[in-house]
Amino acid sequence: MEEGLTVSVPAQLAAAEASQPIHPPPTSFWRKYVFSIDHKVIAVQFLWAGLVFLLVGGTLAMLIRWQWAFPGRPVPVLGGLLLGKSGGVIGPAAYQQIFTMHGLIMIFFAVTPVLIGTFGNFLIPLQIGARDMAFPKLNMYSFWTFLISQLLVIASFFTDLGTGGAGWTTYAPLSTNVGTPGTGQTLVVLAIFVTGASSTMGAINYVTTVIRLRAPGMTWMRLPLTMWGLWLTAILNALFIPVLGSAAMLLLLDRSFGTQFFVAGASAVRGGGDPILYQHLFWIFGHPEVYIMILPAWGILGDVFSFFSRKPHHWYRGSVGAMIAVTVLSALVYGHHMFVTGMSPLLGEGFMVFTLLISIPSMIVVVNWVMTILGGRIRFHTPMLFAIGTMILFGIGGLTGLFLGDISMDLYLHDTLFVVGHFHFTMAAGSFVGAMTGLYFWFPKIFGKRLDERLGKIHFWVTFLGLLLVFLGQMTAGYEGQQRRLFDPYQYTFIQRLHGLNLATSIAAFLLFAGQMVFVWNFFRTVFGKGKAAGPNPWEVTTLEWTDAPSPPPFHNFDRIPYVLRGPHEFGNPEVLKRTGRDWVGQTEALPGGDMAGDPALSSGKA
Amino acid sequence: MRRLRALAAGALALAARAAAADPLPETGFGIPRDASLDGHHVDDLIHFTLLAIAVIFAVALAMLIWSFARDRARPAWYTHGNARTVGAVVGAIAVIAVGVDGTLLVRTLLDLHERLWNFQGAEAQPGAIRIEVNAHQWAWTARYPSADGKFGTPDDVVTLDDIRVPVGVPVVVQLASTDVIHSLYLPNFRVKQDAVPGMINRLTFQAVKPGEYEIGCAQHCGPNHYKMRGVLTVLPPDEYRAWLDTMRADARRGYDPDDADAHWGWEWRRD
Repeated sequence: MEEGLTVSVPAQLAAAEASQPIHPPPTSFWRKYVFSIDHKVIAVQFLWAGLVFLLVGGTLAMLIRWQWAFPGRPVPVLGGLLLGKSGGVIGPAAYQQIFTMHGLIMIFFAVTPVLIGTFGNFLIPLQIGARDMAFPKLNMYSFWTFLISQLLVIASFFTDLGTGGAGWTTYAPLSTNVGTPGTGQTLVVLAIFVTGASSTMGAINYVTTVIRLRAPGMTWMRLPLTMWGLWLTAILNALFIPVLGSAAMLLLLDRSFGTQFFVAGASAVRGGGDPILYQHLFWIFGHPEVYIMILPAWGILGDVFSFFSRKPHHWYRGSVGAMIAVTVLSALVYGHHMFVTGMSPLLGEGFMVFTLLISIPSMIVVVNWVMTILGGRIRFHTPMLFAIGTMILFGIGGLTGLFLGDISMDLYLHDTLFVVGHFHFTMAAGSFVGAMTGLYFWFPKIFGKRLDERLGKIHFWVTFLGLLLVFLGQMTAGYEGQQRRLFDPYQYTFIQRLHGLNLATSIAAFLLFAGQMVFVWNFFRTVFGKGKAAGPNPWEVTTLEWTDAPSPPPFHNFDRIPYVLRGPHEFGNPEVLKRTGRDWVGQTEALPGGDMAGDPALSSGKA
Repeated sequence: MRRLRALAAGALALAARAAAADPLPETGFGIPRDASLDGHHVDDLIHFTLLAIAVIFAVALAMLIWSFARDRARPAWYTHGNARTVGAVVGAIAVIAVGVDGTLLVRTLLDLHERLWNFQGAEAQPGAIRIEVNAHQWAWTARYPSADGKFGTPDDVVTLDDIRVPVGVPVVVQLASTDVIHSLYLPNFRVKQDAVPGMINRLTFQAVKPGEYEIGCAQHCGPNHYKMRGVLTVLPPDEYRAWLDTMRADARRGYDPDDADAHWGWEWRRD
């Protein structure tokens, strides 16, 4: 905004055009669809890679639910296919691999590529008015590195002792050869390292692109909230994924080269290592990771609530400030994962204070959503339904975090299904349903066609109610004391009464999974069949990708680099209605009748 | 000698099994029955938090439902947020932060310093019981000191998956592991503590009701994690003393100075 005062608009636009010239689109099949450097193609590649693994991760979840509902009984259909040696029955060793890989796949190989890989790549250049990423080739390498990590995961299933089984957190010494021998676990740890490298490449690209390639007039306070979410996520990724990388690297050395960074200290395995060091490294990454996975969804929700309530987002600056505060605090709360490891009481209490503090900016974000919706003219299209569902589910997840951030209650609830229910409300519901919100919302822009609304709404209700029941069932079981990760929980007398609850939860989970097939059908039918043409701006919204580019956008995104006049949430402005007859005005749209110098929302800042 | 010891241990285990009834199953819905002196502090906090978030959730949901039901022909309120609405947001959050977060912080600090993590205070009380627990795949081995309170003596009592404590006195457990990380979990006492190789961790509780309760492992520790179950028996003081005396006499008879694996006890951690 400072530049606008000194350099004229045409000069700014000319400079932007000169620094980002239009390149001819690639013509060969390989350059166009496979080794593409087009951010939009890479986004779709991430989408496919993520959706396939989402299905794998979901299937593994169904196996866990089967085991808790019908322990010892052969799994129908899948059992014969995957567990032939045991006649379809899940054994303890297979079970620990199933829950380990469910967690790892969902977090690193399914939700991350969809939420960050797809939306980050697709949206960042389009929403800030750039022709591509700052480093298009690095972007391509990021995807192919990611694909290698997925192949490593697949390979791990076919090793002698099977895939990893030390839990998604791969705590040492269980994750070393002491606890989990075999090539499978090694390949899984290697896959975490490689996917970390991919994320780091992407993060550097996102951070740089948002800083350097914003179109003239796109000041920080005019960025859509989605951009804030993705940008802050990228910063967290750039800072903390390397910490995970170092933990994975040391663990690999322990596994394959006989070092003892994490192995030793036990009387059975003597030496000088420290298993708790692994947990510190893991959670220094792992807690920011929670925000890495939720910040993009927060951003998407903020924009979608404004767009579909036909109202400006409430207290935009407050939400941006809160998201920045969460980003800063995210690394200072990680110790609440380790309250029962025997850490110094003073340290534990410090982490508890920070954990309670981080609830304040989180509340600002959520309360602003409610205030945005309040008094709106709500359009209940599928993306809005999913956004509302995400808010409610994430709300439950956020509020139940209070129990676990508090040491007294954590001493009882730690490592029970209460924790599992809580983080599924935030990560699975918040991030996965948040990603679904984005997918329904940007699908017309990505593919140029409309998804079927009726199928979308059916998918919403099955998903929302299914997730609600499953995770409430888990939290209740945890409140009643059931530990997580038990192959046969009913070995414990005090858990036997929970069999009925677990059975009901499992049935809800099976219905939830079956309901996802509605989405698969809707998605495939529209992508590969004939869908209704979307048109450039089917939702009548304000951001650059809708107002300044066709659906789907061409290789170079914008024929001319746009000049941005205002923020992303100009809805329901009476002055706009008077001049244009619409309840919205795009970020780049010059109003007939000239600038409104008295109205900050409608003036371009140069008047 | 070793065979004799094993035989004695086997016979004793059989006798113990016959004597100890299985823990009663939990009935009805809700948190497991509380058998501890301090557990109700945790329960109260859980139920306070539950009530608080239910109220917060209900208010937010009411605002949403009101908006959903609003006549869609009317224009949307036009505001980016003004002093009044931002003030309402900040005010509501301040009330929650002070009222809920503040309550949690104060009550938890009191809990930790006075009870849950107050190991010195527990040990200072007359009659406090000290036990060393060694967690390993997939069992809990417990060690009781000799009559003079020292660990690592010929009459240390050692049990497997069977911890017995007297009712009405504080119990302080020191916890270690010899392979991977485990977590000692007493659902009826609302406490939990990781057993970490290379560290000596602590946990304290006080039983108020005699009976049998379950010991669970809460940290994934390998394929048989689910089997790492033990029984905690809370006995009236005289029965406890009688049991310990029998066990000590037995331990002295079965002591083998050359059996290095049996001597895993440690100097009691004080700090």
